[in-house]
Amino acid sequence: MSYHYNETFENPDYHFSETLEIDRRGSSQRNPFSYQTPHDSSQSDYYGERRGREQNYPVAIPMASLGPGSDCSQDLPSTSPYGNFTGNLSFEPEPELTYTPHSTSHMLDYPYTHGISSGSEDSFIRRRNRRPPDDIFMTSSSMLETDPMCREEEDLIGSLASMSTNERIKAIQKMPETMRKKREIRNKVLKEITKKSRHRGAQCTQGTWGVSFGRFGNTLSEYFHQLRPWHKTLKIIGAEFGTSVLSYFVFLKWLLNLNIFSFLINFGFITIPQFLAAEPNNLSFTGLELLTGAGYFQQTVLYYGFYTNATISKVENGPSYNMQLAYIFTVGIYFVICFLILLFSMARFFSRNFVKLTKAFSVNASKLLCTWDFNITNEKAVKLQQKNLLTQIKEGLTEVNKEVLNFSVKERVGRIATHLLAWVVSLATAVASCAGVYFLSINNLELFMKGYSNDLQRQTAMLVLPVIVSLLNTLIPFFFSWLGYLEKFQTPGQHIYVTIIRNIILKISIVGILCYYWLNIVATSESQCWETLVGQDIYRLALVDFIFCLLGSFFGEFLRRIIGTTVCMNLGLPEFDIGRNVLDLIYAQTLTWIGILFSPLLPGIQMIAFLIVLFVKKVSLMRNCQPPRKVWRTAQMTTSFIFLLFCPSFLGVLSVIGVTVWRLKPSEECGPFRGLPSMYAAVDQWIQILESYTVSKWVVWIYHNLISSELFFFIISTVVLIVTYLYLEIIQARKTMTKLLQNQIINAGKDKKFLLQKLRREQRAKRSSSALGGRGQQRSSSSYHPSMQPAQEVPGYSERAFDRSQNTSYHEHPFSVEISSSSDFPPGGEPSPSRAVALALRARAAALGEDSDGSGGFQP
Amino acid sequence: MTAAQRGTGQGTDAYKRFSELLPKEERENACSARVPKSQILTLPELRANPFQQRICHVFSTSETEDDSMSFEDFLDMLSVFSDSATSDIKSYYAFRIFDFDNDGILDRKDLEQLVNCLTGQGEGSRLSSTEMDQLIQNILEESDIDKDGSINLAEFQHVVSRSPDFASSFKIVL
Repeated sequence: MSYHYNETFENPDYHFSETLEIDRRGSSQRNPFSYQTPHDSSQSDYYGERRGREQNYPVAIPMASLGPGSDCSQDLPSTSPYGNFTGNLSFEPEPELTYTPHSTSHMLDYPYTHGISSGSEDSFIRRRNRRPPDDIFMTSSSMLETDPMCREEEDLIGSLASMSTNERIKAIQKMPETMRKKREIRNKVLKEITKKSRHRGAQCTQGTWGVSFGRFGNTLSEYFHQLRPWHKTLKIIGAEFGTSVLSYFVFLKWLLNLNIFSFLINFGFITIPQFLAAEPNNLSFTGLELLTGAGYFQQTVLYYGFYTNATISKVENGPSYNMQLAYIFTVGIYFVICFLILLFSMARFFSRNFVKLTKAFSVNASKLLCTWDFNITNEKAVKLQQKNLLTQIKEGLTEVNKEVLNFSVKERVGRIATHLLAWVVSLATAVASCAGVYFLSINNLELFMKGYSNDLQRQTAMLVLPVIVSLLNTLIPFFFSWLGYLEKFQTPGQHIYVTIIRNIILKISIVGILCYYWLNIVATSESQCWETLVGQDIYRLALVDFIFCLLGSFFGEFLRRIIGTTVCMNLGLPEFDIGRNVLDLIYAQTLTWIGILFSPLLPGIQMIAFLIVLFVKKVSLMRNCQPPRKVWRTAQMTTSFIFLLFCPSFLGVLSVIGVTVWRLKPSEECGPFRGLPSMYAAVDQWIQILESYTVSKWVVWIYHNLISSELFFFIISTVVLIVTYLYLEIIQARKTMTKLLQNQIINAGKDKKFLLQKLRREQRAKRSSSALGGRGQQRSSSSYHPSMQPAQEVPGYSERAFDRSQNTSYHEHPFSVEISSSSDFPPGGEPSPSRAVALALRARAAALGEDSDGSGGFQP
Repeated sequence: MTAAQRGTGQGTDAYKRFSELLPKEERENACSARVPKSQILTLPELRANPFQQRICHVFSTSETEDDSMSFEDFLDMLSVFSDSATSDIKSYYAFRIFDFDNDGILDRKDLEQLVNCLTGQGEGSRLSSTEMDQLIQNILEESDIDKDGSINLAEFQHVVSRSPDFASSFKIVL
């Protein structure tokens, strides 16, 4: 830290200060950043060109533009200085600690090491600034062709030319430039490259190959683009309801794709081979089976029980297809793929949304600066969003102005008691409904085993359980949200999250108790084929849940709208309840995952169901609902939904599947695993067969030494733990580093203020003395610094000018602040460079002293 | 080059939409024609947008300052508002769009205009001047890191980088 501090400190050549010309000549070679980003030299072309031309600079001004987009802040203002500085009233000396702690984070995003390693790519993107053509000062555009500009462009082109094709394309794409400019740059770069590698023909052909391949990819992606069926739907939804509602549909679409994928896998690897070996189905089909999934369907590819355990081969001695292995590997690989997909998307969301939000994020600024949803294009929706924003702003303002509520002890106890009571009630509800479901299902099974006299009676009895479960799943959430209203949460966010957690507990415990029933009761019952029974149960649950979902959007949204618009006008249009709908989706997906083993085509059914839900919800949304009034933290919600899909749902399913495959005994008379002690035994048998072949010895070796060996897993988990620990430590170190850098910024701010105070005092003294001494002295000083003449004639202008340039350098490099304050010294002043340096040194010493007082713990 | 086209991934689509904005006789050479601002603003994607004037202005390269757009400008705009544009580019252009007086910083006047755009300009929907002052003060307190009374690009990007929703909401789908 101190190394850079000193280094930059002694390098005044960051700046355009006229006073330090001598120093600059001497020390420019020492500047570490002038090497790393040599083409940065003249990024502030206006400054460079205005002053540089007049003074005929020997050395280009090196600037390390490491801060994000530093150029706008220094380019644009300088183009219209007079219009610009009028509004800027600040830079009065302020009390200490004006630098709020959160001010450092952009240094985290762009730490200075970053600039050294990949600075070249980053910096020129920001540096080349497209100026609006109507800027007042663009009259000087002809002057842009002067040295600094040319050199800058040359450097840029040089650095681009040295990149690989892909990198170059990316870098050019990242530039905030017009297309014409980009094309110019690309052409120049290409010229440069051909100039360089005229003797290397091979590279050129490679390049053209790459180009044509890229074009091919482009056309392909364009065709795919036209094929996307959801594009329009999603666009319309986004246009009217904004991103938050859109996120529900994106999630639904994602689940739909997942189910299409798993349907294709199951259909391709399990069902199609089974068709080849299918036995005739002699059960009658009445139509009611569609609802119950029993009867006729028992003897179809829909259920586990129908699949053969034989090895299918159509040709004598030809290749054969082992159904057992196909079944277990397809399902296994599908779950591994799901696991990876979920894990990676969750990790990506986490790193994107939570790491950046480590600090408490006050809403106002971000809300206003990045809240506008450009997706919304419907005029009414725009009006509505504006209205909502207005009320939110007003609410926010009153909240800020309001004193923080201080509850008395009694009130606080009362509050906690309410919350506790609500939790007890909701947990009790969940337990009660679980118990109800459990006894109902056991009862049902007994009845089922005894048999019914009437077939219709039997089929209705089958439907009782799923209907009850769906009723519980639909009605209890309303009870929970009512409970939430009673509790009077302090923030709406708390309310939403608590309600979601309670709903999840309810749904997962119901599914859990059902799994317990399937695995412990049904699997040990004397039924012929318990897997098929479980499959049927799941089929019915999924189907009834789907029907309830449709009914829910009918009653919950359509009737609610009728009531809201005709009977009770003050209810108004219903809002689309994102949380509840997403939880329904997660529940449905959980059922599908559990059912895959028992009913391989369940994803296909769920796929159709999701497709219908997508369209029904869309129509219902457009007809009945209004956009949500609250601004949902969309990204955060999506993250938590994916997390919920992963954590209770997918992991629970994995454990259920694991128990089924490893522990339970498959039915004796049906299914691909009949006669085996467990499903996994099929793999064991296969390995034993493989052992007799010498060709496949390696598979056997892998199986014995890696997959079925405890030692291997022990080692793997140890390594994973060590890596995790290392990463934790790295995170800790980064946090410490952040704090150090924060302190440094605060110190830099103190430096700046101290110096400015000094400066002002100097200037005041100077001015009074020059007032005494007449105008002669001023003329001499102005001839000394021709470009800064206005600064002296307009009082206060100079200060702002320094302020501006300090800001810019501050953003370019966090450590350059000191220098900027020392080198941007009063133009009209005697204060020599050495004096400025001395002042700065003193300031730094003072700041360092405070720093060690304040945060000694962080010093290395 | 095709950078922007690749960015939007829908070059032909964009071309079609653009040439629809032109009068019939100019459609053959849509690549070189300029569409006047009034036509651009009839695009359904922009029609209701409160920042439509600014978007037009920022992306136009017209030398006569009439904010008309060429096909390339149009593609530029689409590529910035597309999914594949990086957050840096998006925030850079967002800053330009919000910078109403084109001076490179968001000062109090810019913020006031921004708030007015966000809340609508209707009579009943205006904030009172004290509310506006308070609001702008809050914004500046949170995002003006160097306390110079205005928000510069770096500060703006810093704020944006902490709002994960920005990339998904700063998007226009054609």
